[in-house]
Amino acid sequence: MAIIEINKLSKTFKVKIKDKGLKGSLKAIIKPQYKMVKAVKNISFKVEKGEIIAFIGPNGAGKSTTIKMLTGILYPDKGNIKVLGIDTKLERKKLAYQIGTVFGQKEQLWTHLTPYDNFKFFGAIYDIPESRVEKKIEEFRVLFELDEFINTPVRNLSLGQRIRCEIVASLIHEPKILFLDEPTIGLDPVVKENIRTLIKRMNKEYKTTIFLTSHDVGDIEKLCKRVIIINDGQVVLDDSMENLKYHYLNKKIVEAKMKEKINLDDEEGITILKDKGYNLKIEVDTTKKSVADALKLLNPDKIVDINIANIPLEDIISNIYKKEGTKK
Amino acid sequence: MKKYWFIFKTEVMSNMQYILNVLAGFIGYFIMLFIFFNLWKYIYNEPNQIINGYTMSQMIWYVIITEILWSVLSGRKYCAKIIDDVRGGNIAYNVNKPYNYIGYCLATHLGSCFIRAIMYIVLGMFIGLIFLGNFPSLNIFSILAVLITGILATVISTLLLTFIGLFSFIIEDANPFYWVYSKLILVLGTIFPIEYFPTFIQPILKFSPIYVVSYGPAHLFVNFNWAEFINIIIFQFIYIIIAYLMCSLVYKIGVKRLNVNGG
Repeated sequence: MAIIEINKLSKTFKVKIKDKGLKGSLKAIIKPQYKMVKAVKNISFKVEKGEIIAFIGPNGAGKSTTIKMLTGILYPDKGNIKVLGIDTKLERKKLAYQIGTVFGQKEQLWTHLTPYDNFKFFGAIYDIPESRVEKKIEEFRVLFELDEFINTPVRNLSLGQRIRCEIVASLIHEPKILFLDEPTIGLDPVVKENIRTLIKRMNKEYKTTIFLTSHDVGDIEKLCKRVIIINDGQVVLDDSMENLKYHYLNKKIVEAKMKEKINLDDEEGITILKDKGYNLKIEVDTTKKSVADALKLLNPDKIVDINIANIPLEDIISNIYKKEGTKK
Repeated sequence: MKKYWFIFKTEVMSNMQYILNVLAGFIGYFIMLFIFFNLWKYIYNEPNQIINGYTMSQMIWYVIITEILWSVLSGRKYCAKIIDDVRGGNIAYNVNKPYNYIGYCLATHLGSCFIRAIMYIVLGMFIGLIFLGNFPSLNIFSILAVLITGILATVISTLLLTFIGLFSFIIEDANPFYWVYSKLILVLGTIFPIEYFPTFIQPILKFSPIYVVSYGPAHLFVNFNWAEFINIIIFQFIYIIIAYLMCSLVYKIGVKRLNVNGG
């Protein structure tokens, strides 16, 4: 059963515009002018229970606007949203009890209080009985390894510790869906990895559906099985991560270290990316030439070392962004 | 209701970190009272002289109470925070929380006033006793009644500040409105009682927020009578209802207009 259903959703913003200089400023006071910006254009998709879904796109693509509509913060202009069967426009407060939100750039914890006091606070505002809150805190203390800092004021925590607490705070009321908007922004690679592990664990233990937006390809690659790409307010791709990685571009990168120099000419299905005599880097389009054929061209007897890799996900995604950008 | 009590409690806990800042504010409070003490001592030829219905002792106690109220209720940071939240779009993150936003504001601001109120009341009473050597004739019930009007004054002030802050939804920057409001309360409601103003202004002041936020509780403290207490309480409740409705209305309009362009 779909836990999130979006049908032909659109949102337009009215944005104030101003001409250049002082004259423009005066004009804006007397006769303010506005332009309409279509942030989200007619998008539709469904999310199943227990999925970890990446909702990505370049800046200004409409990701945050969509997430804000999904969480009841903004009303859509057109279309329908059902989250857990709840109409986000009509039953905002009811929805609040069922979902959790973490906005990486928006702190929701009280900085002068300890994580423990914060968790108690969130438990109270979601009307959770105190004994249940205590039980949940105890559970999360172990799961999220909070022992070291659960009684330290939030203002004294590192960013990674704070994000961990932000996630726990949004889980205290046991939401069925967790919306994570750039949860690993500004974190170092080790802490990022740690947060990803915790998100995965949470999804496994509590079957919480995760709706994630991130610019970090590592988050998407390591956490999500499905990816929705949005650009210029439209869904440009909705596919499994597997398909995206292995079939969307059908390209492999072959890096080889040769015993002797080799002269390789461009031919169909092969693009030479780097040729430094003994070191060679080529891109193989597997729809036109198999990797085996490409290796034959290199002459396997002369290969000292070889590395065959998929195109980095980052390149695939930025390629999709660019492609959609040039279509406009 | 339980959750608002919890929000209040959480804000009290959070504000305990600022106790030193409150202590620093005492210096300004003390200087202000010292100036007024000497000013009124100079104006009154003898302590029993009555000017506009006030003895010197009553006049100084009046200023002590209004200054306590001003120190606790001025809410500059609180109002600025709402204005910034509205202008920056951060207020949107409160929309999908399971509480009433106005109730949340009220609980947080009352929580932040609580510690300051206790500290300023203790300090104010202490300074008053040291300067004047006497205390207005109040019993436990009248003290309780004055405290109730003080609490209601805090509620009204919070709602009015919330309204000014939320007004940014309509005019983008409500800071000038805060400036006017705070100066009105400070100049017309703190330094002199209403009786000191020209007679034609007095009825206006008695219907203004000054009466319910500042003058009322302070006047009761220096010259308590139950009839006036009832009158003030009625006015305060009317103000609370009107201010709450105004806040709810402007918040509703604001949420509709909400134009958060994040991400």
